[in-house]
Formats: sequence, structure tokens, C-alpha cells
Amino acid sequence: MKNPKQEQMEKTLVCNQSRRRFLQGLLATGALASMPIGLLQPLLAEAREVFSDAEYQTFRNACPRNCYDTCSIKTYVKDGVAHFVEGAPESTFTDGGLCVKGNSYVRQLYSPDRIKYPMKQIGRGSGNWKRISWDEALETISAKILEIKAKDDNLLGLGLTKYSGNFGITHYGVEGMMSSLGYTTRFVGTPCWPAGIDAQNYDTGSMWCNDPEDMVHSKYIIVWGANPAHCSVHSMKYIFAAQERGAKVVVIDPLLTQTAAKADLYLQVAAGEDGALALGMARHLVDKKLVDREFVTKYALGYAEFEAYLKKNITVDWAAKKSGIPAKEIRKLAEEFAKADPATIWIGYGMQRHVNGGASVRSIDALVAMTGNIGKTGGGARYGHLMTWGFNYHAMIHDKPAGSKGWLGKSGPMGEFHGASGEQQAEYSDRTVNINKIAQDLLDTDDPPVRMLWIACKNVLGQDFDTHKIKRAFDKLELIVAVDLFFNQTVEQADIVLPTVTPLEDWTVNVSYWHYWLSINEQAVKPLYESKSDIEIAADLSKKLNAKQPGSCTFPQKINSKQWMEKEFNQGIYDLFGISSWEQLRKGPVKAKMKPASFPDRKFLTPSTKYEFRSDLAAGNGHAALPEYKEGRKPYAPLRLLTPHSKFSIHSQFQNLDWMHDFNPEPFVYLHPKTAKSRGIAEGQLVRVFNKTGELKLKAKLTDNVPSDALMMYENWFGQKNRFNVNMLVDDESSDMGAFKTGSPGVAIHDQFADIAKA
Amino acid sequence: MKETECQRLLEALRDFFFAQNAIQLANTYAVLEEAVSFDLPIVDDWEMVEFAFNRLFIGPKAPIAVPFASVYLDSEPQVMGKSTLITRRIFEMLGVQSPWQDSLPDDHLSLELDACIRLSAIRQASDSSETEELWSYFLHEHLAKWLPLWIDQVRTAEQVPAAIRSVIDILGDWLAGEVRDLKSADMAIGL
Repeated sequence: MKNPKQEQMEKTLVCNQSRRRFLQGLLATGALASMPIGLLQPLLAEAREVFSDAEYQTFRNACPRNCYDTCSIKTYVKDGVAHFVEGAPESTFTDGGLCVKGNSYVRQLYSPDRIKYPMKQIGRGSGNWKRISWDEALETISAKILEIKAKDDNLLGLGLTKYSGNFGITHYGVEGMMSSLGYTTRFVGTPCWPAGIDAQNYDTGSMWCNDPEDMVHSKYIIVWGANPAHCSVHSMKYIFAAQERGAKVVVIDPLLTQTAAKADLYLQVAAGEDGALALGMARHLVDKKLVDREFVTKYALGYAEFEAYLKKNITVDWAAKKSGIPAKEIRKLAEEFAKADPATIWIGYGMQRHVNGGASVRSIDALVAMTGNIGKTGGGARYGHLMTWGFNYHAMIHDKPAGSKGWLGKSGPMGEFHGASGEQQAEYSDRTVNINKIAQDLLDTDDPPVRMLWIACKNVLGQDFDTHKIKRAFDKLELIVAVDLFFNQTVEQADIVLPTVTPLEDWTVNVSYWHYWLSINEQAVKPLYESKSDIEIAADLSKKLNAKQPGSCTFPQKINSKQWMEKEFNQGIYDLFGISSWEQLRKGPVKAKMKPASFPDRKFLTPSTKYEFRSDLAAGNGHAALPEYKEGRKPYAPLRLLTPHSKFSIHSQFQNLDWMHDFNPEPFVYLHPKTAKSRGIAEGQLVRVFNKTGELKLKAKLTDNVPSDALMMYENWFGQKNRFNVNMLVDDESSDMGAFKTGSPGVAIHDQFADIAKA
Repeated sequence: MKETECQRLLEALRDFFFAQNAIQLANTYAVLEEAVSFDLPIVDDWEMVEFAFNRLFIGPKAPIAVPFASVYLDSEPQVMGKSTLITRRIFEMLGVQSPWQDSLPDDHLSLELDACIRLSAIRQASDSSETEELWSYFLHEHLAKWLPLWIDQVRTAEQVPAAIRSVIDILGDWLAGEVRDLKSADMAIGL
């Protein structure tokens, strides 16, 4: 029990007037006249406001993670401390609510586990770290850059791998930093969605999904290879609303997901056979004369050839055999889909992570097109879009230092956002290598080799493929610099780690590749410890380099993050969103003034300006001109290994936080009871999952949500207390498409195979 | 312990736990050795102590024993928590603030030890009962609640150099002594 004096002190501590009186009393006694000099400093006059009864200040933030939902956030700050966040009510998409990850932003900001200072490791992987100043870190880095330049007469020995850890627009300043140094080696492409991007570009000349909010108008929704209940929770309300209005919701997925559990019909398709199912449905529509003749004749190219292909090569029975879906179900599904108006298909990124993923997306696109559902509110082949991403990319665009030499040729780096910057062709270019084959590329690239690797917004060893090979490839590197929030598998292998900021400590601006909203991200609190944003790091590096060798870096040496955020806006963005200044975003996010349907006038961005069932561009790039069936990867082990996303993480972010550990403390491998029984495996038993790439030991969970010919485990990083890494078992086999629009093919993440046994 | 000796001890502890590298660790360790009346373990390789110090308190891997009070006192471990703001308010009552306010949590061990030095000096210069009550509160309700948990984290950690164990022991002894003294004083006045 507390004594009365302690209780009184607690009252004093929370009462501004009482604390002030206490201090005034001390001043009156003269007790503060000759205090020892220490770390604490006399209270500054201007800091006396700490005695005021401050109300919460609110700041506008946005979740910048690689997620459909890109939530608009309101952050509540008092005493310079962020107390809680909530979803911004102004966005009808975020609708005042955040997901389990978004709600944990304060936990991330104030996690005691954050990387706090620049540090260098004495012996890669040794765990022996020294705290160093920013000056020392940048001294070492800049010296290495200049050494590489002197040795090779170019900077191709400096590599950058960066992806989606933070999609805030100013974070493209990392690429800008590289450009400002000279021609470097870039790991280009995306492990996420490239096969589907190419497929949609062949079909429509773009990638442009309807506004997800218009799904409420759909009469028939097929969610195909996506699990929004985990990965886009804010979209679920539109699916539910449509359902309540009478729409039928069908989920097609190899796994009985949480979304499937909410559907009217769940079809467990054989993994990688989505194309066969779509083509079987298409054939049935032809047989039943349920094709929208107006669309395929007036707005499309090559439909007759596609129909001829279907008649010659595809039957419903064949599709049933391939996909595992009974012929009767395929016919019923096709007829219901064609007769509903409007009907839509949400094409998930999971279903294109196959060696035939791009071909499958083209087949599903064709299904939507031949039923006349493209260009309609409530319709559409929904995959993603970049229609709201027309920023200046001010942080990304910088001139090379005079006299820079690079890769002979003009290929230059690519990515999803290639072309956004309007970059000029040059005599030299950066050397581009496949982001999805980082290990092999590092091992194979010579003349000059990649000597130094800069890693930002990415946990290479957690998320890239074939962990063992990456570690071998890292041995070839002379210096690895990782910029990160937390100590992960990549930082563990770095020579220098630089602490970066969380979204609540930074200025930037965010849009989504799914919905149509625009959000500002204000600096709600000061950066903790010695963390810096990517563009601040670039500016400091530029200052250091120019001090050592004037003209060696063109990145500005002093920047203001807020001003740089402002520089990303342009009149096009203002017009699209109906605002006259970014300041208006301080009142809340705004939505693009776009029609809810993509391609509303059915004019496409293809060479023919029509929907292209026959794409000569695809043929020119080595693919079938038509949406044809493409065989999947031949199994190399008895069971398929599926590694989807968990609701507790976005790749290797969030799961390491304490809140997530409370609900999801350890990884499991999920398998069908029949599969378990045949191997004598019991619930909760420690097992080995193994294949040609590697082996993992973890506990088994038995569930018939997973087909009997597959294993499933989520692709989280669980933090430092668990060595689980799903990419010990995932190789870097390419998907069929992706190189056309993103520079590299994707990865066949779900065309992996393994076996399981008791440990 | 005389007041000046106590101040020297606290200053040495404060600076040790605020050290940024092996040289600073070695220097503050030497000062600490002067402040106590016994020999501390001899250190052959301060770089190894630095590595261990960083594993325990700094990072980049999640530190075994982060030196922030709120991580141990608040219902959910985080920095800049409720206890951090209580510490900030205690600093304000003493007419001071952290120069790293908002970038370093106010309840870092070294800042709190600095506040102890200041409070000690104030108590010497003034016989205000309110000051005694503040000290009593800070000691009983704050320091004595989190420091033993933190010390225990260090003591149970693996591969902790003898030098760091000794410094931790000195800190623990100081805390125990202060708690004992204050309890005696409280009993004397009937609390």
C-alpha cells in the first residue's frame, strides 16, 4: 500500500501547477544556485511550456508498406510523444480503422529493439559491434566509394538493392543518391507482382484496376489467388456489402483462406493451374454463346484467334483434370459469371508467382474481357494500378557527376515506376541485374565485380531467395551497408548499419497501387536516437564525399525533408486530386477525381488501342501471342510448398513487435491430416521440412485448409529470437513474365516443392 | 558514504553507462575504481568489453537489457512510455531537462543517475521536506522498481565480462544502500 506522501507526490507529478510550485520553492531556497554540471541541462525558458496542459496534437500519416491498403492514419501526440494512432475517418477506404499492423505503429516507433546508432561490425556475422558516429560511418563509406572509383574508373562496383520496405515517394531518394554518385549497379525488378504487370500490359497496354470501393456494385465477385482478409482487410467491407446486396462471392485458391471462409463458394484449385481453369471457363462461354460480342468485335483485337485456340485446344473436361475443379462446377461458375452484370475478378499476386503466372493472368483477363466486364463500374480484371503515382520524383532525379563512366549502352534501370521520372537516354547507363537473383548475380557479375552493396528498404536475407546462396554471394562483397529499423538477418551480415526513421518520424507522401486515395505523411515526432531518413543520409553522404573530392556527388548537401516532400507535388497531382496545395492534405486524405471503372471509354493503351487477345508485343517478347495454356514447373519433391503472407506481418516487418508475438509467437508448417498420417506426424510435433535448397525445423499444425499434396508456412520474419527463414526452402526460379515492364522476371515463389518428416 | 564520495561514485556510474566506445569505457572504469575502495577486475581487452556492452545495452541487435526505465515499469515494454514522462516531470521539478529530449528517452539510466546527483546536492543545500519526499518517491517508486529488474537481466545474461558484472554490482549495492538509508529515515519519522 502506498503511503500518503507517495500518493501526494503522484498528484504533484501529474499536476502542472504543483510541479511549478515545487520548482519555485526550490528556486526560492537558493538550493539550485550551485548545482553540479552533468548531463541534464537547466530548464530553458522556452521549454517551460512543458508545464502547460497540452492537448493532443494530431498529425497526418500514411502506412507506406507494401500493402494494398496504404492506410491514411491520424497520429495523436502529447509532450512530443506519440500516444496512439487511428485510421483517418476522412478516407472512405481506410474508414477510421487500421489493421493489426497499422495499429502497432506506436509499438514500432517505441520498440526498445530499434537500431539506435550507426554501428560497424568487426567481422561480418560475428555479432561484435562498435558504436560509431555518423561522421565515422560516412567517412568509411565515402572512402570506399572513392576507392572503387579510383580502382575501376567507374562506380559499377557499387550496387544498390532496395524494394518495398517504405513506398513513401521521397524514399526514391535512395535511387537518387546512387544516380548522384555516378553509374552504379542496380538490382532491378520486383519480387512481388511483375508477371501480372506484364500480362495486363500485353492485354490492355497498362495496369489499371477499378476503384476497389466500386466492388459494392458487383453482382459477382471472384477473388482469385488473393486473401484480402489477411492482406487487404479494408477491401473486405466492399465484398461484404456486395454480398449483402445479393452478389455471389467466389474464392479460388489452393488454400482455404480466411477470405474463402467468408465466400459463398470456395474452389480449391490445383496450384499453378489457374490458367487451365480460366481457359476451361472461357471455352464453356464460347460453347454456350455467352460471349459479349459487342466487346470482342468492337473493342478487342484477336478475339477470333483466341476463340479458335480455345476450340482447338481446350475442353472443360481437360480444364477439370488440370485444375482439380469438377467440370460441372466449371460450367456453372462460367455461366454465373457471364450472366451477372457487372462481374469482376480480383486477380491476386499469389497466383502469378508461378513459372506460368503471367500466362494465367492473361487467361483470366481474357475471361473478364470476353464477358464484357472491362470498363464497367463493378466489373474489371482487378490487379493493381499506378494511375495516381505521377509525382515529380524530385528525390530520385539527379545528374551524374561530370565525367562519370558506366555501363556501355542505354538500357538503364527499370522498375514498376520506370518512366515516371522522364529520365534521359545517355551514352552510359547503370548496370542492371535481376533483383530476384541477387545471389547468382553477385556471384556472376564481374568486370568489375560488385564490391560494395547498399541495402535500403529491404531485408535481403529474409526476403530474397535461396538464403544459403545469398550468404555465399555476400562473401564476395568488400563492404555491405544496411539501412534499417531493426536488426534482421541482413543487418546480421552487414559491415555497417545505419539507423533509419519510422513513418511517424519522417515527411513524405503516399498513394496506393490499389485504392485511389492520396495521403500526406507528416513528421509527428522527432526522430529517436540518431536515426535519419533516407534522403538525410544521402545529403550527409554527399557532404562528406564533396569534402573529400569536390564534385564527386551531385546530391544536395543540405536538405529539408518537409520541403523535399513538397517538391514531389505538381499541377498534375493537384488536378487529379482536386486540391490546390498539399497543405490541404493536413485536413485529411483526398481521393483522385477518377471514374470508378478503369478504361471507362474502352480505349486501351495497347498498340492497337484495343483490348488485345492477340498481343504481338507479347509474341515479340518470346511469349505466346494469345492467352494460351502454359505448363507449370515440374515438381522436384513430393509436396508443393506454399508460402503466403500472414496477417501479422508485411514480409519481414511488424511480426517482430511484441503485440504480434502475443498472437503469433512462433512459425508453424501447416499440412493436411492425411499427409501427416502418412508420415507419422502428430499435431504440434517438431518436423523437418526439406528440399534441394535447404531445411527448416519447426512445429507442425494439422489442418484440412491445406490440400493434401501441399505444405504451407507463412513468410514472416519472427525477430531475433527465432531463426525461421522460409527462403531457406525457396529457390530463385523465375516466373514467365515481368522483364517487359519491370526489368526482370518475377519469381515462381509458389512453384516450390519440399518433403516433410519427423525431426 | 560521504556525500562527495557518493557523488563521485554516481558520476562514474553515470558516465560508464553513457560510454560510446572502448576508450570511454576504460576511462570511466578507471574513475569508478578510484571512487570505490576496492580493486575492480583487470581488463585485458577493452574492445571485448565494448562488444559485450553493446550486446547488453546498445544494439544493433535487440539489447539484452535496454537501460530505459519504462521498458521495465510500464504494462507493455516500450520506450517513451508513461514512466518516461514521469521521469521528465521529476527532472522539470528539479529545474532541468534532458538536452536530448524527444530523441533519447528521458529515463535512460545515466540521465536518472544524473538526476540523483542533482537531487543529492539539493538535499544537502536544503532541508525541505518536499525535496525529501521527491527523493523518496523517485527512489522507492521508480529506481528501486526498475533497476533490480534491469540488473537481474544483466546478471543472468551469458558472456558478460567481469568488469561489467562488477559495475553492475556496484550500482546494485548503491541502490540497496540508498533504499536501506531511506527506509531507516522513514521509520525514524514514523512512516
